[in-house]
Amino acid sequence: MLGAYPSVVVRVVSAVLVPFLLLFGIYIIAHGHYGPGGGFAGGGFLAVGAILPRITLPSELAYRLFPTWLGPVVGGLGMLLFLLVAAAPLVVGGALLDYGAIQVAGLEASRVRYLGILAVEVAVGFAVFGAMLLIFDVITGADEAVRQLRPAANVEEDRR
Amino acid sequence: MIEALDVVLFLVLIAAAVLALVTKDLLTAVAMLTAYSLFVSLLFAGVSAVDVSLVEAALGAGITGLLLIAAILATTRRSEPRPDPRRRYVVLPLIGLFLALMLYAATGLPDRGDPDAPAQLGVSQIYLSQSLVDTETPNVVTSLLADYRSQDTLGEALVILTAALSTAMVLVRRRDQDDHAEAGDGHDSDHAGPAGSDTGGDDLTSTEGDEAR
Repeated sequence: MLGAYPSVVVRVVSAVLVPFLLLFGIYIIAHGHYGPGGGFAGGGFLAVGAILPRITLPSELAYRLFPTWLGPVVGGLGMLLFLLVAAAPLVVGGALLDYGAIQVAGLEASRVRYLGILAVEVAVGFAVFGAMLLIFDVITGADEAVRQLRPAANVEEDRR
Repeated sequence: MIEALDVVLFLVLIAAAVLALVTKDLLTAVAMLTAYSLFVSLLFAGVSAVDVSLVEAALGAGITGLLLIAAILATTRRSEPRPDPRRRYVVLPLIGLFLALMLYAATGLPDRGDPDAPAQLGVSQIYLSQSLVDTETPNVVTSLLADYRSQDTLGEALVILTAALSTAMVLVRRRDQDDHAEAGDGHDSDHAGPAGSDTGGDDLTSTEGDEAR
């Protein structure tokens, strides 16, 4: 199931789709203030953009584009960002997740809350992306696929 | 919200759900569940819940189907036969009872969009009127999820990440035990594969026989 799909049509179409999927995911995350969207759906689109190469493109290419460590690392970073944003108001005496309590020179409280929402959406997007990629990699046993690729990867590095 | 379209969508939903339950081919069942999610997201969009609809289409129809297909490819494509066919005489009445209970409970619900509904009389009025002033966010759903009720979102993100990490802890193979575990796994799946598909085939014919009766 992992690795290059036999049909060239599927390979080409999914290779063309991937950058647009990622762009759409980022758009969905960033556009949550003004339309439907937000971290959960955007993170889902990002994860699909990372998983699609794994089931259609050659493995060495797919795992160089989106390595397996990306899942746990990005997911953890997203959660860390969320917790930092959540804890930041506590430092200045506000309540948990009350971004408006943070005083920033030149910014109204409502603007700070606007930016806090953006940070939370980005954090949720990262966490969902990482979680979904991690689950997919673990179920498909991508560990093994990467280990089989390792000699090839070393050769690549030697060439550089 | 168009009445005729809603009726058609509900019929398609029921058909997809029944097909997903009846079929012995798990890949077909996953395709049916994905179609189910897609039509549910259309229904959500029909009642102006666009945010929910988008999440349902992205996560319910997209990622969930992908993960289920990955799980099928890692295990087996045929569902096991039911251990005891008499089970349906208990399960079907239970489903009927639950359905009747839910329909009875639904008669007590307020109409959709009723301004006097309990949900519209509490804090939601403040959220709706103050969202733009408080947070400069025109989309109230986003300001609710990420500002007013952000502790819920924190909990959801924690749940998703915890689920992923526990899945990894259960399924990932340790490098030092690798050869041993792999040999055992390969053996097991070799045995389970043909046996499972054989019994699946037998069961398929037997259920066809049941339906014929």
